[in-house]
Amino acid sequence: MSESVIETTSHQTGETLLDVQDLKTYYEGGGLLGGDPVKAVDGVNFEISRGETFGLVGESGCGKTTLGRTLIQLETATSGTVSFDGTDITELSGDDLKEWRRNAQMVFQDPESSLNDRMTVGEIIREPLDVHDQGTASERREKVRTLLDQVGLMPEHYYRYPHQFSGGQRQRIGIARALALEPEFVVLDEPVSALDVSVQAQILNLLEDLQEEFGLTYLFIAHDLSVVRHICDRVGVMYLGNLMEVGPTEQLFQNPENPYTRALLSAIPEPDPTAQVDRITLPGSPPSPRDPPEGCPFATRCPVRIRPEDIEASDEVWDRIREFRDVIRERSRAEQSIGERLKERLGFDTALADSEEIVDEEFSDVDLPSDVRGHVEQAAAYLSDGEPDAARAYLREVFGSQCDTETPQYYDVGDRRMSFCHRHAQEHVSPGDELRQRGYDTHDG
Amino acid sequence: MMGTETELTDDIDQPLRDRLKAHPKPALLWGIGLCVLLLLEGPTYLDGLLGAIGYGLGVLPGAPGAEAFASASAFFGELPHLLSRELIPNRGYYDGSSWQGTFLGLEPKYAWLIRFLLVYVYVAVLLGWLWYGYVLFRRHYRAADWTPTDDVIDRLRSHYWGLFGLAVVVFFITMAVFAPVVGPTTAEENIQGPYSHEMQYFNEDTETVETITIGEANLGSASRGSGDSNVGIWSYDDFGRFHPVGTLVSGKDLFTFLAFGARVSLFIGLGSMAIAGFIATTLALVTAYYKGVTDLIVVLTSDSVQAMPALLLVILATVVFKNHWIAEIYNGAMLFILLFALIRWPGLWRAVRGPALQVGEQEWVDAAKSYGQRPTVIMRKHMAPYILGYLLVYASLTLGGVIISVSALSFLGLGITAPTPEWGRAINIGQQYIASQSWHISLIPGILITLVVTGFNALSDGIRDAIDPQSEGAEGGATGAAAGGGGG
Repeated sequence: MSESVIETTSHQTGETLLDVQDLKTYYEGGGLLGGDPVKAVDGVNFEISRGETFGLVGESGCGKTTLGRTLIQLETATSGTVSFDGTDITELSGDDLKEWRRNAQMVFQDPESSLNDRMTVGEIIREPLDVHDQGTASERREKVRTLLDQVGLMPEHYYRYPHQFSGGQRQRIGIARALALEPEFVVLDEPVSALDVSVQAQILNLLEDLQEEFGLTYLFIAHDLSVVRHICDRVGVMYLGNLMEVGPTEQLFQNPENPYTRALLSAIPEPDPTAQVDRITLPGSPPSPRDPPEGCPFATRCPVRIRPEDIEASDEVWDRIREFRDVIRERSRAEQSIGERLKERLGFDTALADSEEIVDEEFSDVDLPSDVRGHVEQAAAYLSDGEPDAARAYLREVFGSQCDTETPQYYDVGDRRMSFCHRHAQEHVSPGDELRQRGYDTHDG
Repeated sequence: MMGTETELTDDIDQPLRDRLKAHPKPALLWGIGLCVLLLLEGPTYLDGLLGAIGYGLGVLPGAPGAEAFASASAFFGELPHLLSRELIPNRGYYDGSSWQGTFLGLEPKYAWLIRFLLVYVYVAVLLGWLWYGYVLFRRHYRAADWTPTDDVIDRLRSHYWGLFGLAVVVFFITMAVFAPVVGPTTAEENIQGPYSHEMQYFNEDTETVETITIGEANLGSASRGSGDSNVGIWSYDDFGRFHPVGTLVSGKDLFTFLAFGARVSLFIGLGSMAIAGFIATTLALVTAYYKGVTDLIVVLTSDSVQAMPALLLVILATVVFKNHWIAEIYNGAMLFILLFALIRWPGLWRAVRGPALQVGEQEWVDAAKSYGQRPTVIMRKHMAPYILGYLLVYASLTLGGVIISVSALSFLGLGITAPTPEWGRAINIGQQYIASQSWHISLIPGILITLVVTGFNALSDGIRDAIDPQSEGAEGGATGAAAGGGGG
């Protein structure tokens, strides 16, 4: 869908190590009856150059960890390609996959859970070497001692058990294990978020030193934006399984383009207590990844969503309409109990008696233009008839716009920068201008 | 307890060898001590081992080599050793002035008591020496100065209920292993073939030493509740034979019966738990690793097995397999091992499935996958150690249940067939004399069953608290949480 855009924007400085094309990772719904899969990663495109640190940020549950796990084949991609040095690793299996695995390793989030407590530190770090049959037993032991030294531990820690180490030291052990096979690419899954603040800096510095020493390429997954700004060369911002914006760290932090990136960055606390920051508070909660919105994934919460031209209403009314649609969406998603289904089959009235109340609650204290009121009442009528799906479709029809129906493209918004938003198209007002117009502070001036 | 030693030697063999070379004295002394202890009883071990192999081969079609093993076993059986009836005989007759044929001319009961106690002293010394070996290993040779297992052992050492259980279990196992020595007589001559063996006794009427078959002597030493037909606890019969816990209705020695019955119970209990535990562990690891359909299939299978009425199934199987060769092995014990393994694995699997699923979610499992470790190795190395503790707990609990079940079946007349001794059968045959002076026939085996089952439960309690101190509540705290992580 947006591949053409990508190809035209890929004018990079370093050689591409990892090229991700339209990658999707779905988790099949549990239970015998299947159900909708969880679309954890829902079509992402990006590249990582050799030697760079690519940051991946986003709220919890946005799919960043799943994306990282898919890149090192801990999860199986549903579709799309991940080409690593020209090889599509999603196609690998058996011995080829095992052989490839030495190229890509992972440092895990929780140092308590990532080390097997029943093995000595030496055995833990040596295991990857044993698996790949590298050298003789004594060479491997020597290698482990070197690694221990490289990550800032003592060679005599070989025969200690993980219990005897602090969180930061355990994370060093995890890093040593990831580096044992001398991989080119390392996924760092929130490597410092479980650590004490004082230790975080040490580990980050260690990671930077090791990157320089071994020429590593990092995928750095984090939700701590200041850490990402500190360590990453480029950043991708994820929301609901999609990459909303990709770009060089400083530019992206200084001058975010995508509305979601703006909202996310406005949440960074200012160290200056006198600073006046007007945060862009996103309404509602992220939609379920089992049932993402049809158009833009961010459409349900976007502060600058495109509005249909044929309806004139105030910002407040639009807010209420958005809330109303959220409620209807929740309704249509709510599982019906077996009793309700049976009643429906038998022709009993399963109307939601409170549809009037919902309308009242949402709209009683605002002046609705007559056409809006008409549409709202029509939707309420569908709801009363026990057809929340119809109400939802109707509302999308009348209040929806391009944002609700079309998946955006990746727009080239600067040097190696891409943003996933309809507003970058020629015919629309850009996100930044629209934000200011709707009364938000934007810190890019 | 010695598991730690082997576990570590596997992983870092070279350094351990180096350490032994560098500082050989304690290990050498300990090794010599162990050799002496083992040599004292060497013939017994070899006799038992070769005999068991020979018996196993004898069951196979054609019995290849069974003969050779049997004769080798017999050869070692003849060799002198410390704990033997020949060295400390307790059988003899009183010729009016002194005891003839007994150890140092002592009364049979003291001779028997000395041998009985010597067995337990020997076992205690052997176990103590093994423990000392572990301590030496920890002090001098282990590369790691601390392992998570140390904490487990330390907690078990201060768990008195668990230690009581351990003592009972050791007592029971010793009784089973050394059954031919601890009894005042042997199963072969007293129980299996009483009319093929003879004994001498001193006839007070004629004042001469007479010879009689043991079968005939048994007739005179029967405990039948009424009149003078009773040989109770700690008493002699008319033929100068000492019976520590009296005789059976048939006049056979109850203590000997119990010692050999312990063998059967232990054989069935350990055998069925070994098989059931293996099935349960394998399935728990496989289902926790692969989840999904595999898990569903095993859930359905185990539910189906558990839905079958166990007792009826066992009764049915004993009837169906009545003349089958499986039922011939050890008078049906093999059949019971297989039956109880089949019936009990779902319970064990359910008990370890939770811990297995939990450990399967740990990031170290993902880490192992990420560098391409084989699934079988991941299961064995990264998951199994965390569920084996739980398996041990539930297996020893279930083992008590199996012992009771076998006794119950024997009580019903369906279990191990006569003449192989089984505790439940003793309870059964003594049942009608429970209100008479021959109450010991039912009561002693009943108390023993209770004690042994309690012992296994206490031991499993101790192990559980040792591997997972949080389950104990109270003391918890920070150290508890850390240790809990170690225990899985």
